Amino acid sequence: MASKKTAQKTLSLAPVLDLNEATALHEKLLGLKGSDLVIDASAVERVGTLCVQVLMAGAKTWDEDHLSFTFSKVSDAFEKTTQLIGVDIDHLMAKEI
Amino acid sequence: MDMNEIKEIFFQECEEQLAELESGLLKLNDGDRDPETVNAVFRAVHSIKGGAGAFGLDDLVSFAHVFETTLDCVRSNRLDPGPEVLKVMLKSADVLADLTNAARDGGSVDEARSRQLIKELEALANGEVPQASAAPEPVAKAAPVAVAPVVNDEGFQPVAFSFDDFEADEPALIDMPTYEIVFKPKSDLYAKGNEATLLLRDLSRLGEMSIHCDMDALPALDRLSPESAYFAWKISLKTDKGEDAIRTVFEFAEWDCDLEVTLVAGEAAAPGEELPMQPVPFDLSILDDEPAVSVGVIEEEEQLAAQQEIRDAAVSAAATASNVLQMAQSANRAPAEKSAGAAASAAAQSAAAQQAAASAATPTIRVDLDRVDRLINLVGELVINQAMLSQSVVENDANGTSSINMGLEELQQLTREIQDSVMAIRAQPVKPVFQRMSRIVREIADMTGKSVRLITEGENTEVDKTVIDKLAEPLTHMIRNAVDHGLETPEKRLAAGKSAEGTVRLTAKHRSGRIVIELADDGAGINREKVRQKAIDNDLIAADANLSDEEIDNLIFHAGFSTADKISDISGRGVGMDVVKRSIQALGGRINISSKPGHGSIFTMSLPLTLAVLDGMVVTVANQTLVVPLTAIVETLQPEAAAIHSFGSNQRLISIRNSFCPLVDVGRILNFRASQANPVEGVALLVESEGGGQRALMVDAIQGQRQVVIKSLEANYTHVPGIAAATILGDGRVALILDVDTIVAASRGHSLKPEMSLAAAG
Repeated sequence: MASKKTAQKTLSLAPVLDLNEATALHEKLLGLKGSDLVIDASAVERVGTLCVQVLMAGAKTWDEDHLSFTFSKVSDAFEKTTQLIGVDIDHLMAKEI
Repeated sequence: MDMNEIKEIFFQECEEQLAELESGLLKLNDGDRDPETVNAVFRAVHSIKGGAGAFGLDDLVSFAHVFETTLDCVRSNRLDPGPEVLKVMLKSADVLADLTNAARDGGSVDEARSRQLIKELEALANGEVPQASAAPEPVAKAAPVAVAPVVNDEGFQPVAFSFDDFEADEPALIDMPTYEIVFKPKSDLYAKGNEATLLLRDLSRLGEMSIHCDMDALPALDRLSPESAYFAWKISLKTDKGEDAIRTVFEFAEWDCDLEVTLVAGEAAAPGEELPMQPVPFDLSILDDEPAVSVGVIEEEEQLAAQQEIRDAAVSAAATASNVLQMAQSANRAPAEKSAGAAASAAAQSAAAQQAAASAATPTIRVDLDRVDRLINLVGELVINQAMLSQSVVENDANGTSSINMGLEELQQLTREIQDSVMAIRAQPVKPVFQRMSRIVREIADMTGKSVRLITEGENTEVDKTVIDKLAEPLTHMIRNAVDHGLETPEKRLAAGKSAEGTVRLTAKHRSGRIVIELADDGAGINREKVRQKAIDNDLIAADANLSDEEIDNLIFHAGFSTADKISDISGRGVGMDVVKRSIQALGGRINISSKPGHGSIFTMSLPLTLAVLDGMVVTVANQTLVVPLTAIVETLQPEAAAIHSFGSNQRLISIRNSFCPLVDVGRILNFRASQANPVEGVALLVESEGGGQRALMVDAIQGQRQVVIKSLEANYTHVPGIAAATILGDGRVALILDVDTIVAASRGHSLKPEMSLAAAG
């Protein structure tokens, strides 16, 4: 993933990312546009489809902007949910760290 | 909110659902094949089942389940909803209503009937879909425990198929059939609190599942509407649980998603060759930690507490990279996605707007009827009080200051407005009564072996709740008569050149401050000769009486008419119609019949919109104060001696604009005085009776026009012929409200025996 040398920002996800959180998460992500982003999903206990959608849209946008969008840590629940719904996040895992 | 309150709400919702169910089925019966109608019907049964399950109403659940299974066959086009099928379904709707009532009020239901219908429904379901036959049993048993109401699917649990079952079956996995499932949620799914992850989790428990998430619709972040649905899934599921089990998983969400389930042949099943499918991990127990909900209401605190618990207990584990499956999405697809994404988000936005509009439509609250009644009573007292106050001000201060008078006028206006608004609270559409009638028609048609179609119009016409409640009984009676006696047998109909199916039309409309309900059938009409003969035989009319057709038709409402047992066999109408007329009159209404031989009969009922107040003209007759309903009065005039013409022994006519109108002396008819008053000294009120035709009612003087609060004479005293009700005037005296139609009818009294004409008041 081609990333520019810009300031890297970190976003820690809330434990519960249910339907109600999607809008808030969307706004947070929009606010972080333009910088490389590292997402910490280690605290996530529950994540719903809408929030995964927002995250994946973010991944796509960051990719289009040639910025890096990675998950530094993910919780078991987060990983299992993404696997369950067939969303592959392996390529977004921060392997180089 | 305690359990009983929730249950009460459930039953109220049941009533709405049952109404929905019935009107949907009737639409289908009329040939409507809109999938939305079928869905609405299915939804209604489904919601009742869901709620009943939450309350452990097993009878209701098991019946609803079988019903639902059959409806599902209709929905999936496996069963054509022909007339025979719908007949069973309409009956089932009736039984479902009975079961609901029994569950609420503790009554009993005709078990033989419901068992019979269950059999019929199952036969229908099985006739076309043999594999569905096994499904009802296990699910029906499990449903009472596990089905959560649609309102909250967060805690949705798979019905009847636990993870344990799955493990027991595991060895046989290799031979299991594979289903390909396409699941495409709509934004509504999320808006209603459903969660695709939970559905997929439950799905994964049915067997071995691999999944592909289609993210093509996902737009870039800045164009994304975070609460819209973009993901869609293609799932391959190996399971022996059958298609029904798969659909059961989606049962609370299926109107909000596109769902396709197809069986792919056993070994050849290599689904999604071109799509990378991701196997779903077996152990999803970590996702199970939401509180299980059996009732649709979770207190917020509970939820928070549960979340806190989860938080404390959760062990955050860093994930390790596993075998890598590349995401299908890559950068080179992006351009195509942009336009698709924009279109999708636009569609999603309009859908969201629609939904917002729908939810903002009419916020309502449920209010105890007693409270409304108390309010109405109080407003009635207020009106009387205000009238008394006005009167005593006038009496005590003949030339009262203008400020007091103005204040009083304003008070009067306000009172009036309050009264109107309060009355509007009680106004309800006649729909529920009309809907009940369709059941009556079905049952009578069944009993008599006739084929009948009930058409209802103007169901949303509003009228006071008391009127609606009291309307059901006479209407039922009339509908029974219309089907039983009005319509001919199919053979006779065919012989008469009509279609075998009879039509009964029930219409409601507003007309000049009253509600008019019409019941028309296309039967044989009234056999006037026989009715007339019967009336003569029964001494109701003189043998040589010259009656108009209308008058003959109206004879069937006469009390003496229905006693004969033969009449129902020969002419049709006549059974208990006097009872009908009395109950309509007790409502301050009038009933009329017009009949065309060979073409059917039309019963017209005209009822007041409210039973609480009335605009009336206050008049004096022989030193008594009477109130004449304003709606009946066409005009008032001061007769001149030249306009009065006498004929016969004591009949008088008044000439109004070159036409003659019978003059009716109210004081004489009510026996207020022995001899006829001199018309020139009084005032004539030109009234129009429901049967058409005008009469001039003679009164001594007009006191004024006033809104009066109706107090029932029947409830407080006893029925007085010619008097509809009573009221309390401003000076505290009781005034009688005239029943114009009876007075007019009595004035025609010559053709009727004395019992029909009015004896003394009281």
